Amino acid sequence: MLQARGLTKRYGGLLALDRVNFDLRPGEIVGYLGPNGSGKSTTVNLVVGLLEPSAGEISLSGIRLSDDAIAYKRQIGYVPEEPALYAHLTASDYLMLVGRLRRLPTAVLQKRVPELLRLLQLHDSRYKTMTAFSKGMRQRVLVSSALLHNPQLLVLDEPFSGLDVNAGLLLRTLLRTLADEGRMILFSTHRFDMVEKLCSRVIVLSSGRVVLERRVDDFAREGPDSLEETFVRATLQPDFAPLARQIIDTIEGA
Amino acid sequence: MRDSPEVVLTRHFFASLFDFGFLSDDGAEALKRALLGSLAVALALGGLLVRVFMAKYSELSAEPIDVYQQAVMADHAFLMAVPMWFVAAAIGLVGQSLFPNQLDFRILMAEPLSRPTIFGAKLAALLLYAGLFVAGTHVALAPLGTLTMLGMFRTGSFVISALAFAVSSALASLFAALAVVAVHGALMLFAPRARLVAFSGMVRSATIGTLLLSLPFVGRLPAVDRAFAADAWWLRLVPPAWFVGLERWLVGDVRWPALAALAATGTVAVLVVSVVSYVLLYRRFDRVTLEPAASRRADASDRPLARWNGRSPVRHAIGRFIAITIRRSPLHQGLVVGLLAAAGGFVLNSLLNASGWHDQIETRQKRALINTLLWAPMTMVFLAVPAMRLALWIPLDLRSNWVFRMTEDGAGRAEGAAANVRAVWALAVALPVALMGPLQWWVLGPSAWRVLMVEMSIGWLLAEWTMADWQRIPFTCAYLPGKGFVPHMFVKGFASFVVFSTASVLVLRLSLARPLAAGICAVVFSATAAILAVLRVRHAREGRLIFEDELPTDVNPLRLTAD
Repeated sequence: MLQARGLTKRYGGLLALDRVNFDLRPGEIVGYLGPNGSGKSTTVNLVVGLLEPSAGEISLSGIRLSDDAIAYKRQIGYVPEEPALYAHLTASDYLMLVGRLRRLPTAVLQKRVPELLRLLQLHDSRYKTMTAFSKGMRQRVLVSSALLHNPQLLVLDEPFSGLDVNAGLLLRTLLRTLADEGRMILFSTHRFDMVEKLCSRVIVLSSGRVVLERRVDDFAREGPDSLEETFVRATLQPDFAPLARQIIDTIEGA
Repeated sequence: MRDSPEVVLTRHFFASLFDFGFLSDDGAEALKRALLGSLAVALALGGLLVRVFMAKYSELSAEPIDVYQQAVMADHAFLMAVPMWFVAAAIGLVGQSLFPNQLDFRILMAEPLSRPTIFGAKLAALLLYAGLFVAGTHVALAPLGTLTMLGMFRTGSFVISALAFAVSSALASLFAALAVVAVHGALMLFAPRARLVAFSGMVRSATIGTLLLSLPFVGRLPAVDRAFAADAWWLRLVPPAWFVGLERWLVGDVRWPALAALAATGTVAVLVVSVVSYVLLYRRFDRVTLEPAASRRADASDRPLARWNGRSPVRHAIGRFIAITIRRSPLHQGLVVGLLAAAGGFVLNSLLNASGWHDQIETRQKRALINTLLWAPMTMVFLAVPAMRLALWIPLDLRSNWVFRMTEDGAGRAEGAAANVRAVWALAVALPVALMGPLQWWVLGPSAWRVLMVEMSIGWLLAEWTMADWQRIPFTCAYLPGKGFVPHMFVKGFASFVVFSTASVLVLRLSLARPLAAGICAVVFSATAAILAVLRVRHAREGRLIFEDELPTDVNPLRLTAD
């Protein structure tokens, strides 16, 4: 189980995350929602160990990040928001690099890397450097690298960004199956439809604080637009109709 | 007019020519200051050269007019070569931005801009960029050029001579700029699209490397007056000499028609190739916008995967990451080639100065030559090791370093550090020693193997020493240039160089004279390097990897108030 307790992050004088608590149990897919600047990416970076919290604790399967960061990180697969990878490498070069850094045996890598590339429809492009890859192709490489070591926890930041319909459906089915087999999935996104279709629970963040935590099934019972409306209320978003009018007035004005 | 799309676009292209893409905002600012400082140094050196040449020309004023003119020709070859060098280097550095590229196409063609506007703006920006260097170097060297022509008053042809020199020198700079553009243009047109980026990077690295290696020859041009007098055949291989021939032809002196013809033909040829490639690329913009379907056949073997194998997985992974990056990243390839070529150029200069190559017996010249031959590889190693460290530091894509941060552990850090030292050893020690080896063997005979052995052990020690505290994965850490106090670093570097080169030459002379001493030296240096390697492993296991460069913390604040 992933446990976050009192997670706080300050950047100088700016409080980006304020005493955030949540749990993620095996078999769960949790959607992590929030407007831009709410602290979503900060939370993700704290959970995967790329940032150190100013206060608070995170543990995964009983291993606290502050006690043994290496053992903690070994259990995590991560897909970052931007397709940030070394584009001068080929897809197989990149997966081999990640696999070697994670100390996977050579025999395993030589079997797993081509197979993953084939299954994610990257095999034909395996000798091309990723500079020529579309955003969706890069995203598929990142998904492959996150899965390569068979992690217990998958942390995905906008994983559907750039994926075509088929690749999106494949990833959705894959995540559902992984969760059914007991993996934990933390899924940060702006897309309500994906949260409704995929997640079992949703956590909404605003101004660095958790403002809502509910089961997705509860929204489904309340009506088709319930999640979106609740999100707008919870994150105190403004009324968008006057804002849209102002924008149109601005571009139509002299 | 100031805000017309053409002007805005030209300004954008011009500014992007100075954007090297690997520095943070602070780093880019620091680099701009450094470049401005370099410009000031270049201007000051121009003034200094005047002082040096004044003595020469006061002596020449008493010589016959023929002797004076030969000296002027040699100096003019030098004065034309310097702007040519700077312009070619400046254009070579931005080789991949000489033509509108895929990014320009994707962003700009979506805007209501015509293709002529985009190409015209790119060309205008390039002309401005090249013009900046042409003007800067010519202004810096103008006093020297004027000084060389003062003697023309004797023949009453000062104005014509000055005009001929100015035209020839400007054409020489144009030739240098267009030569680089022509090579890149031909490459864009004829290279397979799949290899375009790689070839373009290689051409840029080769240009920079060649220019740096040519520096010792540029420095020798003021001494080729006799070659001009004899119309030596090899002057036809030296482009600055062509334009001196053209200068003489313009003032009515037709004794060097071949050189003048070469200047005219060469300039026209590179102009035609440049214009044709611009026009063809204008008409076939798809050359730069379409990506290849596959760079290799799908049924090719899986050799790339096999290359990642090894008993130390992280060391192998990082070693391969370094190798691929140096091969494929134009920036890093250019840096490595450029820095190694700069070290090579420095050493080449000394080798060109040395005499006694054909002396069969032990003479003073022969002894000096042997000292130079022993000094040369050690100097290259001394310059190349910190240069390689710098090249490994320059970041590639900072956003992507998360993969190393997430997989960091103690054993991995130690293996990574070993990969770093190996890379430095291979490129900054083994390569220079191997390059100098045949020359040493030719002059020293079979006893050169003792020298090579000791050189390798000293190089290993230096590599371990230099990389001892380097807790980084290559190309993944932010870089802030200009952290040190430049005069302090210069003095420290120069003192280290003097001590290192003197001590290593003494050791190598001893090794050459006594086989036993060579063995002892090699064992002692290797053992010390091995101890440093053990300490490096311990240090790497205990410390954390560094991904953010920081300014030094030991700053002494100025206390301007009396509190």
